[in-house]
Amino acid sequence: MSDVVVLGAGADALVAAHLLARAGHRVTVVGEQPASRITDGWVPALLAREVGASVLEERPDPWLRAPLAAGGVLELSRDVVRSAESLRRISPRDAERWPRFAERMAALARLLEGLYVEPPPSLVDLRFALRVRRLGREAMEDLMRLLSMPAAELLDDWFESDALKGALATFAVRGLQQGPRSAGTAFLLLHHHVGNPAGVFRPPRTDLLSQLAARQSITLQDAPVSRIAVKAGRVTEVVLERGPGLRADTVLSTLHPQRTLAELVEPGWLDPELLRALRHIRGRGVAITMEIELDRAPDFPTLTLAPSLNYVERAYDDVKYRRHSAQPWLDVFVQGKRAEVHCQYMPEKEQPAAGTVTGMLAPYLPRITNARMLAHVGQPHQAELALDQALWMRPLPELSRYRTPIDGLWLGGPAMHPGIPGLCGYNCARQILRKA
Amino acid sequence: MKRYDAIIVGGGHNGLTCAAYLARAGRKVLVLERRERVGGAAVSEEVFPGFRFSVFSYVVSLLRPEIIRELELPRHGLQILPLESTLTPLPNGDYFAQWSDHDQNRRELARHSQRDAEAYDEFGLLLHRMARAIKPLLGVAPPDPTSLDPRELWDLWRLGRYFRELPEKDLYALWKLLTMSAADYLDEWFDGEALKGTKSASGIIGTMLGPRSPGTAYVLLHHYMGELDGVFRAWGFARGGNGSVSAAIAAAAQAHGAEIRTQAPVAKVLVSGGRASGVVLENGEELYGPAIVSGADPRRTFLGLVGEGQLPDDFVASIKRYKFRGSSAKVNLALAEPPRFTCLPEPGPHLRGAFSISPSVDYLEHAYDDAKYGEISRRPYMDIIMPSMLDPSMAPPGKHVMSIFVQYAPYHLNGGWNDARREELGNTVVSTLAEYAPNLPNAILHRQVITPADIERIVGLSEGNIFQGELSLQQMFFLRPAPAWARYRTPIRGLFQCGSGTHPGGGVMGAAGRNAAMAILEGRA
Repeated sequence: MSDVVVLGAGADALVAAHLLARAGHRVTVVGEQPASRITDGWVPALLAREVGASVLEERPDPWLRAPLAAGGVLELSRDVVRSAESLRRISPRDAERWPRFAERMAALARLLEGLYVEPPPSLVDLRFALRVRRLGREAMEDLMRLLSMPAAELLDDWFESDALKGALATFAVRGLQQGPRSAGTAFLLLHHHVGNPAGVFRPPRTDLLSQLAARQSITLQDAPVSRIAVKAGRVTEVVLERGPGLRADTVLSTLHPQRTLAELVEPGWLDPELLRALRHIRGRGVAITMEIELDRAPDFPTLTLAPSLNYVERAYDDVKYRRHSAQPWLDVFVQGKRAEVHCQYMPEKEQPAAGTVTGMLAPYLPRITNARMLAHVGQPHQAELALDQALWMRPLPELSRYRTPIDGLWLGGPAMHPGIPGLCGYNCARQILRKA
Repeated sequence: MKRYDAIIVGGGHNGLTCAAYLARAGRKVLVLERRERVGGAAVSEEVFPGFRFSVFSYVVSLLRPEIIRELELPRHGLQILPLESTLTPLPNGDYFAQWSDHDQNRRELARHSQRDAEAYDEFGLLLHRMARAIKPLLGVAPPDPTSLDPRELWDLWRLGRYFRELPEKDLYALWKLLTMSAADYLDEWFDGEALKGTKSASGIIGTMLGPRSPGTAYVLLHHYMGELDGVFRAWGFARGGNGSVSAAIAAAAQAHGAEIRTQAPVAKVLVSGGRASGVVLENGEELYGPAIVSGADPRRTFLGLVGEGQLPDDFVASIKRYKFRGSSAKVNLALAEPPRFTCLPEPGPHLRGAFSISPSVDYLEHAYDDAKYGEISRRPYMDIIMPSMLDPSMAPPGKHVMSIFVQYAPYHLNGGWNDARREELGNTVVSTLAEYAPNLPNAILHRQVITPADIERIVGLSEGNIFQGELSLQQMFFLRPAPAWARYRTPIRGLFQCGSGTHPGGGVMGAAGRNAAMAILEGRA
């Protein structure tokens, strides 16, 4: 039995804390409770079982609803056949292709699912190479091409309908400062597909965080951390800004790797090259969330305004020059008479007028009675999910296996592989237990 | 009816290289070229009386040193003159220059940013190391990772072993280079806008991508891969223009006994029972041989010369989605006097180097934005050299020739290319350049404007793509031009490819031609 201090109180922190506590460690969680108790992302059954939670998932159906320029809507559902029917009204060709597309993408998502519940493979991992070979020729060729592809090219290969391609593209660029014509965005589309049935690209929302936060089995402390004390290359204590420090044999930090290693650890313990690399982790925030209230509940769960690939790409053009999109793409998630609106692209520290957004939404929703811009969401994954910061590169190759050069100090936050809330902490905690 | 061991379709530099290697190994080889001269896009022509131009490609850097050596190209007339500097004039009247002299270069970097001067050498070392790691791959036929063929598995294993023996750190550094944008990559090292603009420009050449598009960092390596006379990073100009490169390779091929026929356009590859047996010329003449090697790009080869009907469906689908999207144009000027840059008005050594219109990353990205939606860049990126400064025989005494590489001029232009749009492109180039060298418009004696549509029409490169297909990640190595068919062979037995549309791609390297010849000679392709 040893003392573990977990830094941060998000989904990764709590999953890791419970996993370690169940294995018999004395665990203290230090950090501010996040404002939102909703977690976006796949929660594998394995994870839920190991932390002893029965997670409630919210999977809207239809998961994508996009108004069409000529009137009517495109609706993509969990049911592949129903999606195809909806597509048939705008393009018989796309309708015919949808089931095959769904199947091909699902084959690749299954591979990622396997990779996501363990530390990332190394670039020269033979077992990984063999696992990829076992996929068979077609899936393997798909994977090789898809990993490096722009989503726009992937979607153009398969489909002709602007409405379909535009709306799907939003899942390829969500939270990323890239447009759909940038290489690597097909990977992000696939990433969002992980844990979903074939033909669904919207990650589920879960109550994982609120379930874990409600438990009493671990000590939660909301106190600012001032530093992580290191002696002879090992962590010894987490020093708080107020009150007594916390003795620690192991520290698992879910804070940003840069904050953890370059700010909380005393200087001198780390290689200057690593410090430089830490500074270059890209984590630009590109979206703002807005909360709106409606005079009645709409009869659909989601709404996406992104009429074409060019529309999304043009929205991205603005942010390249550090301006917010004149015409952002919007994704609305309805909860009764309230709804949350994701607006992209919005560089940090820039606030567009709420009126622009509500004006765009007005034709498609019941009357909006109140709108409130929430704080900039920042980069939800700490490190952008770009190809050079994914898998074996996440967040840096030398840190990708959750260990740091300091004994007893581990990284398990959103910047780690696979960048899905809960899973980063899960993989990290399992690595700690394996070493113990 | 004459029989050959190998018939090469297309006398571009890769076709000629392939022919030279096959002939050198004792094969009876025939090269068929559609135009009246060999060289493809590496030709020199007297476009205006007394003024000679490297009409399309215009510099030498990546031409493989083993080809120069093995084919004894200097003996066949190849002489390369170094380009020693790059001048980037800036809108504020200043300039940023890169010199081959290390100290001079460092002083210039420090003039713009002390931090850049300090980072520059370390950056150079890293990129050299990466270039060295990549270089052996240029000379191999990429094995298909999905194959079960024992020989390919063996090659795959050797390739895996090669990578495993590299320091792991270098592997990850390489992955970063392959997947990042040139702009993001350079941001990690440098502050200077002009430095970043000029360096990232090398990442966008020949592609329909901007400097902020992931995948463009890799091409930075090419600048550290160039090897002339064993000297790294040297860009050069072939005396007599780039046509001299083709002429030297052609002379080497002929010296080994290869036969070259010009004005002999091939209409069709003859296929019977899944096997290529010969070609039919447009005049109806039939020529036979057990090996037909196409130097044309994949679209022309498979959808044109062979025909969809002869090929498996999934292969045809791969070739159809192979991207060309030509984005580059060329403007060749005959000048009465050299340009006088506002930033450096007097004649000087800078005129013997390259000029780059790339003042910042944002400038290039804006140029890309226009092209992305089908328009000519309002302010294009330009890479310019003045061959007559290095080789006076290119122009009449006292006069000059200027070669301007322009990007972006999208092949898929809104409304399509026509004479008016071609002139518009020429005017845009001249007026943009005049902002930095005001004497230029009045110094122009003649002007030749070549759009991507012209490149396609004249040279036969589909969509005017100078690399026979974009050098993007999903079209590289074992995916070029199609998965499972990256080893120079094709689904048709006896038909091979040797153009830039195969690994390792374009840039007047000759590597594809040489690799294809090796594959044919080993009989394993």
